[in-house]
Amino acid sequence: MVRVMVVDDHPMWRDAVERDLQAAGHDVVAVASNGREAMARFPASAPQVVVLDLQLPDHSGVQVTSMMLEHDPTARVLILSASGEQADVLEAIKAGATGYLVKSASSAELIDAVTRVADGDTVFTPGLAGLVLGEFRRIADGPADDPRDQLTERETEILKMVATGMSYKQIAARLVLSHRTVQNHVQNTLRKLQMNNRVQLTRWAIEHGLDEGPA
Amino acid sequence: MPAAQPRTDSAFAVEDRLYAALALVRVVVTLNMVGLNAYRRDNFDHPTVALAIVVALVVWTGAAIWLYHDRARRTPALLLVDLAIVLAAMAVTPWVKSPDFNATIPGFWVMGALLAWAIHWHWRGGLVAAVLIAAADLLPRSEVDQGNYGNVFLILIGGPIVGFMCASLQRMARERDAAERAAAAAEERTRLARAVHDGVLQVLAMTQRRGAAAGGEWAELGRLAGEQERSLRSLIRQQDTVPQVAGGRVDLAGALEAMATAHPVRVEVATPGGAVLVDAHVVSETVAAVRACLDNVAAHAGDGASAWVLAQAGRDEITVSVRDDGPGITPGRLGQAAVEGRLGVVSSITGRIEELGGTATVQSGSWGTEWELTVPLA
Repeated sequence: MVRVMVVDDHPMWRDAVERDLQAAGHDVVAVASNGREAMARFPASAPQVVVLDLQLPDHSGVQVTSMMLEHDPTARVLILSASGEQADVLEAIKAGATGYLVKSASSAELIDAVTRVADGDTVFTPGLAGLVLGEFRRIADGPADDPRDQLTERETEILKMVATGMSYKQIAARLVLSHRTVQNHVQNTLRKLQMNNRVQLTRWAIEHGLDEGPA
Repeated sequence: MPAAQPRTDSAFAVEDRLYAALALVRVVVTLNMVGLNAYRRDNFDHPTVALAIVVALVVWTGAAIWLYHDRARRTPALLLVDLAIVLAAMAVTPWVKSPDFNATIPGFWVMGALLAWAIHWHWRGGLVAAVLIAAADLLPRSEVDQGNYGNVFLILIGGPIVGFMCASLQRMARERDAAERAAAAAEERTRLARAVHDGVLQVLAMTQRRGAAAGGEWAELGRLAGEQERSLRSLIRQQDTVPQVAGGRVDLAGALEAMATAHPVRVEVATPGGAVLVDAHVVSETVAAVRACLDNVAAHAGDGASAWVLAQAGRDEITVSVRDDGPGITPGRLGQAAVEGRLGVVSSITGRIEELGGTATVQSGSWGTEWELTVPLA
């Protein structure tokens, strides 16, 4: 059983997701229809997993993601989005979300994703893998003194397979690796992406003199 | 029409600024006029009248600055009076000074009225005022020296040119306004479209989900909703990159999305995010090769097969991977087909990519078939 919070501005979706999760035996500890409500209810309900729609009427889902994870780093955020706006999805992942699912996914896929995200696993769609590959490619093509981590060849290879719709099981069989190893590699790519995001922010702060305290 | 209102506003704003600048010019030429007449006070036959005229011109300058400041007061009558005062001051010069005078009493002070006419009636106003001032300057003179000719010539050239520039400035302000409004309208349309699309996508996704759960005829409805949802999502992504098409370069990611959406095989396209701008020929050939890969999936991988397309872009090359979840190609079958002269796949995929200087490789296994097309960027 996983303690879940559902944040979505469409009541139709909020109810459907809540029903599916409860039917699967999960505990929906809170629901919210916008960023303000989500932030108000998050601390008291202490969910393990937040199922979050990116298109919220007030805050952007990206902001909500980083605020929640700042408050409780052990929480997991699973993005559930209808339109798949590319830039937003990548930003939410950089901000610390560990899963991404489009709304057309079936109930079974959603429940599976919630369980996996709660276990610390990452849930990728092919589209998200393509975006992450693109992001690392941009880092690779950028200035040579960029301190941000690159993907290893193996990580790139696995991410490419995820981006062409292969399951971890298929990837494990094709590369003769264990399922667990494939999972670790995918998790590492996200960890690097999120770490790189922090490096970038720190560097930006230094460049703008924000690291110097009052003299 | 409400849309016409801001147009005139922006043109008026330019006019306001020009008149504000002219007010400064008027102060400068007035100081100059007062100074010169004081310096030449011994040249006057009627010094008292001259003093009265100079004082009158100074008073009028103050009045003119105040009058021109308000749009409502900038009437043709004001401009006519402004110029009439200039012409009158010039006309009385031979009597006040002496018939063989050198400089007129107003001197360069004439610029105030001249520029006002140029601002108000553009090049025509500038020209008419310049001709009248030139005539008033030349006619009373018994002889015209090089200096007089030079001044008149500059006025005749300058009046219309300044008028023309004022018209251009106002037109540019109107055009800039129109462009800004168009951009704001487009942005608003995009924002509204996003809201509408998001709503439609939510409903389509929900229909698909409920349909699949209900089964039977509802499942078919759900499947149709799913198809529409994928098309719409792909369309939105393409739309995001449309304006970036420039200079013979085309967005490869958008072109792949468009082709995949139209293709009968169920395809999911993954892109690096944003536009991938590549030479138009490279895009059309690469897309054609990917289409051939998908045609191949339709022909060999069976009805239930799905395909995935992944586009990657580096500084030096682009890579497109196409995978299907069909049963795979038995080893050597492609080679055998080539030997037998059935070169369809080879020429339409490999041929195109090799012509672009790239490579096309194919792998097959229990996980399906995967083509990897790599094309160098010149």
